[in-house]
Amino acid sequence: MTLEELTVEATAEIEAAKPLYKQVNNERLEFTSADYDQAIIDLANSKWNDQQFGYIQARQEAYGSVQDQLDMQYWDSVNSTTTWADHIAQVKSDNPKPE
Amino acid sequence: MAGSLIKIDEEIVTSSVASFTLGGSDWDSSYDVYMVAMNNVQLDTDTKNIQYQFTASNTPQTTANYDYASKNLRANTGFANESNTNLTFLYINSSTGTGTATGETTQAILYLFNFNNSSEYSFVTKEELARDYNGALRGGQGGGVYTVAEAHNGIHFFTNAGNIASGTFTLYGLKK
Repeated sequence: MTLEELTVEATAEIEAAKPLYKQVNNERLEFTSADYDQAIIDLANSKWNDQQFGYIQARQEAYGSVQDQLDMQYWDSVNSTTTWADHIAQVKSDNPKPE
Repeated sequence: MAGSLIKIDEEIVTSSVASFTLGGSDWDSSYDVYMVAMNNVQLDTDTKNIQYQFTASNTPQTTANYDYASKNLRANTGFANESNTNLTFLYINSSTGTGTATGETTQAILYLFNFNNSSEYSFVTKEELARDYNGALRGGQGGGVYTVAEAHNGIHFFTNAGNIASGTFTLYGLKK
């Protein structure tokens, strides 16, 4: 999605979440229209960041530890299996890089 | 040395809020280094993280000039590096986010550098510990920079969805 499309999505989400509040000197106040405008921009930017770079973190989460991957490679060499390559391919496939 | 942390501002969140600013009109520019202590912070939505921007003249700076780098220490799996450039915000938790169940809270210390210096970039270092939305313990060590030479007078906190449900955020100046 483009940033403009994500902004439309963010606008709908902020509208649905209204009213939103901020805290000023420990007093809870409803957002001003400028606060709502900024919240939409911030949310759209956050969505853009997730869309463009979220797969990197997701892959890091999904990969086995280095120790586990070395163990997979050892047993692959002993048993002529493809456990390690299959694991890496699965993680990449489950968390595709955005086009 | 006793009395080296001078309390400048504090926000104690007990009812959900979407954002707030530490410092701003309460900023005291007489320090070189500042510290922000975050205690028992919890969001009201799983997998989201606490985000923040520097404020200049009380206004959050939202241009894509934030860079960050962090080592994420994870109790349930291997450690991971996380970095990015030209973002419109920085964040406390790793991008996988935090949780909402009992004990899934965030504790963090930030140090702020160069905030009063209009000819230098402002830097922040981060040390945090949190339990994520799966109850897994995660530490984080790193920091960020805003690559515009300007003075700043606070930190604007918000989240990428939902609200900050609870927590104590305290800003200190480090006595010279």
